[in-house]
Amino acid sequence: MATMTADAIRGDLLRIMRQLREDWDWSGEIDDHTGVFRDLGFESIDLIALGSMLEEHFNQTLPFAEFLTRAREERVEDITVGAMLAFLVENLARQDAQPA
Amino acid sequence: MSTTILFGLDGATFDVLDDLVARGVMPRLGRFMAEGARGTLMSTVPPLTPIAWSSLVTGRTPGHHGVTGFFQHASASGQALQIVSSRQLQAETIWSVASRQGVRALSLNFVVHQPPPRIDGAVIPGWVPWRWVKRFSHPPGIVERLGRELPSFDVRQLAMDFEQERRAIAGAPLDDHEAWIRLHVDRDRQWFDVFRHLLATERFGLAGVVFDGVDKLQHALWPYLDPDCAPQLGRREDQQTREACWKYFAQLDRFLGETVSLAGADSTIFIVSDHGFTGCRDILFINTWLEQHGYLAWKANVPVVAAAGRPGERLADLEPDFYELSAFDLSRTRAYALTSASNGIHIVVRGARSADGIAPEEYERFRSELVRKLLTECTDPATGQPLITAVTGRDEAFAGPYMALAPDLTLTLRDHGFVSVRRGQSILERRPAVVGTHHPDGVFVARGPGVRPGTSIAPVRLVDVMPTALYGAGLAIPEDIEGRVITEIFDMDYLRQRAVRRIGDLERVPVAAMATSAAQDAEILARMKALGYLE
Repeated sequence: MATMTADAIRGDLLRIMRQLREDWDWSGEIDDHTGVFRDLGFESIDLIALGSMLEEHFNQTLPFAEFLTRAREERVEDITVGAMLAFLVENLARQDAQPA
Repeated sequence: MSTTILFGLDGATFDVLDDLVARGVMPRLGRFMAEGARGTLMSTVPPLTPIAWSSLVTGRTPGHHGVTGFFQHASASGQALQIVSSRQLQAETIWSVASRQGVRALSLNFVVHQPPPRIDGAVIPGWVPWRWVKRFSHPPGIVERLGRELPSFDVRQLAMDFEQERRAIAGAPLDDHEAWIRLHVDRDRQWFDVFRHLLATERFGLAGVVFDGVDKLQHALWPYLDPDCAPQLGRREDQQTREACWKYFAQLDRFLGETVSLAGADSTIFIVSDHGFTGCRDILFINTWLEQHGYLAWKANVPVVAAAGRPGERLADLEPDFYELSAFDLSRTRAYALTSASNGIHIVVRGARSADGIAPEEYERFRSELVRKLLTECTDPATGQPLITAVTGRDEAFAGPYMALAPDLTLTLRDHGFVSVRRGQSILERRPAVVGTHHPDGVFVARGPGVRPGTSIAPVRLVDVMPTALYGAGLAIPEDIEGRVITEIFDMDYLRQRAVRRIGDLERVPVAAMATSAAQDAEILARMKALGYLE
């Protein structure tokens, strides 16, 4: 996969989240500060499903389970869209950096 | 056109089904079995839902299809874990094998099918939360179409409530038995309504549906279904719960009857399960045993699970969780169990997933010693009886190109229970009552043209179902699968008239590639328009 910029990844993530918002009849705005549990009513399993969708979209394996575990260990109250973006930027960049 | 049907009953066992037939709860199943052939369907090691269904739909053993649990390592090296999805399923499914032979396929409620393979047909995967059913279904628009055409369709009822599932599978006490049963009566009704509607309105040469309420009821309510437990359940409320369970199975029986009618006399129908069921009471804290024997060190912040309080509260705390990803101090750990349901032990080998651990050249000796101790020293403190009856190496349970993703060892416990991966106060606790757990012996029943009525066959394997169903559908079978056609269910005339045909993998399209092929998407788009999914 060609290297994506953080802006491009952000654009894709927000577009996906907004498409999902339509599926769920949720009308609020989605931005970096949107909390998936507080604002979108996610349960943990929804994040796992989102992980599968993002892997499919970016066609890359992502350590989503570790991401969730780290959040749990750090007692993070909510996972924001911004935190997911940082996770994606970090891991997509890391995989791009690996030799073919 | 006939339709070959896989009628999936997640976790079904003849121990329960035969009893329900004898009681008159499932008369149509009784007739179906009398008119068909039956035998034990041996599950995978371990007998776990995603691994087992993946073998059933691919004809491949786990080391070849790549699914090793609900959670698994992302690669042969490194600590990264993945929650299993169709991206980990590395073998072609029966749906796409049929699809590329020009036969449309329908797949409903099969696990590890999300995101869905882009077959010629329809896929609504199982184990998907309601918010995601629409996005993870194929072709796009099918969920909206069902909403328009089926007045009873309710995607929230169709999808899984994961928190309730987790509690029930872990053996946590249910607040309301009848509500749990009703939930699955309603959910299975949703799946059957979709199945019936799509079969009635489209042409499919191959169709499969899984009813997973069987597994869920048996996990939580095993004593009410196990004939051996019946004499101990004499209270009026016990009888009410048993009768509520029977109503669930009576509904399944009606679904089977309708399926037989809908498919017609020239169709072959297979009733299959991914594993069987039995009862268990042990909770084996396997990581605590590993700690006591010097193999494992916990991180300082990992709590010992509570051992005080009322029985219900205490049990909820003690029960296995699905996974603990980072509870161990790997610098001082040489073996650990990562997830509950896989019953797997991982050995820490220096240079493999960690800079710590045993030296690679010590692996065989270390593993042999650990197996010996697990079988002889992991014992019931009260009786001295071994708690582990078998330890299977991954070179046996997961032989194949994806073996490195699997645990090094898989444990079979004396009562077939799942281990707990939590930090226990002792190595063994006993539940106050029996709960259901997976057993390797599932069910296989086939009925249709050429199937010998009233036949009992020797046990067959999950991987044999896919080639047998393809053969029944008149389709060719991939050359590289581990499964075989179960020829012993067919009469000689039928076998003589229909040779088993093989296809190579020249046209094989990997699952992941199928999900992203633009050309195929365009073809599917055209077909969707023709079928009215798109305007």
